[in-house]
Amino acid sequence: MQVHDACDAILHGREQEAPFFASVDVVIVGSGSGGAVMARELARDGRSVLVIEEGGHYLPAEYGQMTPSNSIRRLAREAGLAVAVGRGDTPLISVMSGKCVGGSSVMTGGVCFRIPDDVLHEWSTDLGLGELTPEKMAPYFEEVERTIHVETVPESMRSRSSQLFVEGAAAMGVTMKSLRRNTVGCKGAARCNFGCPHGAKMSVDLSFLPDAYDHGARVLSDALVEKIDFAMNRATGVRGRFLDRVTGEPRVPFTVQAKVVVVACGSLHTPVLLRRSGMDTEAIGKHLTLHPGFRICGMFDEEVNGWDGAMQAIYSDHFLNEGLTLVGVYSAVNILAAALPGIGKEHRRVSAALPRMAVFGGMIHDDGGGRVHRWLSREPLVTYRMSARDRARMFKGIQILGTMAFRAGAREVLLPVFGSEPIKNERDLAFLTERPPPAARVESMSFHPLGSAKMSKGPRGGVVKPTGEAWAADNLFVADGSVLPSSIGVNSQVPVMAMSLKIARGLCDDWSKYARRAS
Amino acid sequence: MSVPHPHLHQHDFDRSTLHPRHRALMPKLAEAFFAHEGPMDPARLASFSVEVDRAISTASKTLRFGLLAMLDVIMWSPLFIIGKLSTFETLSLEDRARFLTKLEHSKIVPVALIFVAWKTLLTMVFFEEPSELLALGYPGPARTRYLSVVKAA
Repeated sequence: MQVHDACDAILHGREQEAPFFASVDVVIVGSGSGGAVMARELARDGRSVLVIEEGGHYLPAEYGQMTPSNSIRRLAREAGLAVAVGRGDTPLISVMSGKCVGGSSVMTGGVCFRIPDDVLHEWSTDLGLGELTPEKMAPYFEEVERTIHVETVPESMRSRSSQLFVEGAAAMGVTMKSLRRNTVGCKGAARCNFGCPHGAKMSVDLSFLPDAYDHGARVLSDALVEKIDFAMNRATGVRGRFLDRVTGEPRVPFTVQAKVVVVACGSLHTPVLLRRSGMDTEAIGKHLTLHPGFRICGMFDEEVNGWDGAMQAIYSDHFLNEGLTLVGVYSAVNILAAALPGIGKEHRRVSAALPRMAVFGGMIHDDGGGRVHRWLSREPLVTYRMSARDRARMFKGIQILGTMAFRAGAREVLLPVFGSEPIKNERDLAFLTERPPPAARVESMSFHPLGSAKMSKGPRGGVVKPTGEAWAADNLFVADGSVLPSSIGVNSQVPVMAMSLKIARGLCDDWSKYARRAS
Repeated sequence: MSVPHPHLHQHDFDRSTLHPRHRALMPKLAEAFFAHEGPMDPARLASFSVEVDRAISTASKTLRFGLLAMLDVIMWSPLFIIGKLSTFETLSLEDRARFLTKLEHSKIVPVALIFVAWKTLLTMVFFEEPSELLALGYPGPARTRYLSVVKAA
C-alpha cells in the first residue's frame, strides 16, 4: 500500500484510550537509525512489521516552528540534559540522544562516515568477527549512502567559521577535508541538531521509514516498551504502556506478539530493556564508548557570522593515529551563549562578540569506560571513567584547536574549562599538556554512545552473535549502535545503519528458520 | 517568549516541575544571571520562569529531582559561599551576582557543576527571545547567505 502521508502510517499512542493488542511477524523497539533500517528491510521482504517508539512523531514543517529549546525538550531524551557521570578524574559528559520517530538521526549534524578500515580490520581479525571486513561491509555502506543521499558539502556552504578553521589548520600543515552529509538541497539553516526545517537532512524518518510504510510497516509512537516477553528462552513479543496525553506518564497498556523481536533503542536504553526483561548476560550495559567531544571558541577582529552556512562542513583525520578527529562545528546562538563565561554584564560583554566568534571542535576515539545502569526512573544512570590516555588526548586536542585559532588570527581563545580565563596567545596554551587542569572541569559532550550490548564471536564478552541475535535468547535481535564492538572514532549514523542493514539481510535470508522456531 | 506553537501537531505534556519555593527563586536567579542594566522587568522574569519549567518537565523524575535539589542548594547556601545569613532570593541583586560568580570559579567541582547546569539551561531559554538574539547580533532568517540560498531555491 502506498502511504502518501507519513501520518497515515503512525498510530499516536497518546491518543489511545483503550488497551491495544497486535500480532505481527516482527516487532521493532525504536525507530532510529537501527530500527528504521530493520523496518524497511523486513517490510520489503514481506514481513508484517510494527515499530514501537517512545517519542512523538513530528513533520519537518513542525521542526521549523520549534525554537532550539522547544525542539530539544520534544525530540531529545531527558529534555537534552542527559549526562554521563564521570568516575575518577573524568568530565561530566552531556549525552545527546533522540526520542522521537527517527530517533537520533533527526538530531545529528548530518555528518556521514564509514567505519574506518583499520577498525574493521581489528574487528574481523583480533575480535574474530570475520563478516565485518571492509570488503564485506562495503555494499552495506554503499546502499545506506544511496538511500540517505550522502553528498559532499560544497565549499560554497562553508561558513566563515569553517573557513577560519581551514586557514588555522593549514598554518599548522594540517589539511582539512570536506565532510559528507545526508542532505538534499541544504539551505544552510544552521539548525540541523534541532530537526531540519526544510526536510533537507535525510534522517531516517524521511528516508528509510517512508519506504517501510509503503511496504506495510506501521509505527506506534508515544509508546513505552517495558518488557520483552519470552517463552522457552525465545522472545515472543513485547508489552508496555502508551504515554498519557496530558501527563506523559505511561498509562494505557499494549501487548504485541511477534515471531521475532528486534531491540533498537540505542546504546543507552537497549541495555535497560534487556535487563528489565530479565536477561542476565554479563556484558549488557558495559563497554559503552562515547567519543567525548570538546570545542574551543576563537574571538576574531573580523565579522565571522558563523551561523551563515552549514553547521558542519569540514573535518581532519590528520591526528587519527593519536585518537583525535577534528570537526568543524557551530550551533544555535543561544546554545553558544550558554557556553560563554561570566554572568550579567561580563556575560553580555563576551556574548556581544558572538558575531566575531568561530567555533572549532574535536572528539576522542576513546578507549571506552562507560556503563549503563538501571536506575530509579525509566532513564538509565550512565557512568564513564575516562582513561589516562584519553585524558591526555583530550587536552592535546584542545591545545591543537586553540593553536589553530591563533594561527587563523584569533585575538583570544575561550577554552572549554569551567572558570578558566580567556587565553591571549598561543604560548599560554602549553599548560594544557604540561600541567593540565582536572579533567572533571572540562566541558564535554557526546553524540555517539555506542557498544553497550556488543557483538562478539562467542557468548563470553558480548551480548549478541555476529548475526545480531542475542546469545542468551532465540529470536531476539539487537540492531542499533549498542552492538558495535568498540569505539569507531567517527560519527555513527551511517555505521549504525550499515550494521543494521547487514543484520536485517541475514534475518531475511534465514527467515524460515526463525519462523519455524516461533511456530 | 518561546511558547509551544499553536500549529504544532503535538503539544507539550502538561507537566510542571518547579515547586512554589522554586518558582519564587527562579526570577531572582534569572535576574542575577542576566541583568546588565539594573533590575529586570518582573513580567519578563515571570514568563521566563514558566518557560524554564516547561523546558525541564519532559525530563525523567530522577533528573528533575536532581535539578530541584541543586536549586535548594543555591537557595540555602549563601552563608557558606559569600558569608550572608540569608536565602538566595532575599539577597540584593549585587550579592546574588557575587554568589553566582563564586560558584562559577569554585575549586569544588560539584559546586561549579551546579552553576554550569543551571546557567546552561537558563541561558539557552533566555536567549531564544528574538529581541535578545538581535541584541547579540544574530539576524535570524535575515542572514545574508541563507536568505540568498532560500530565495534562489
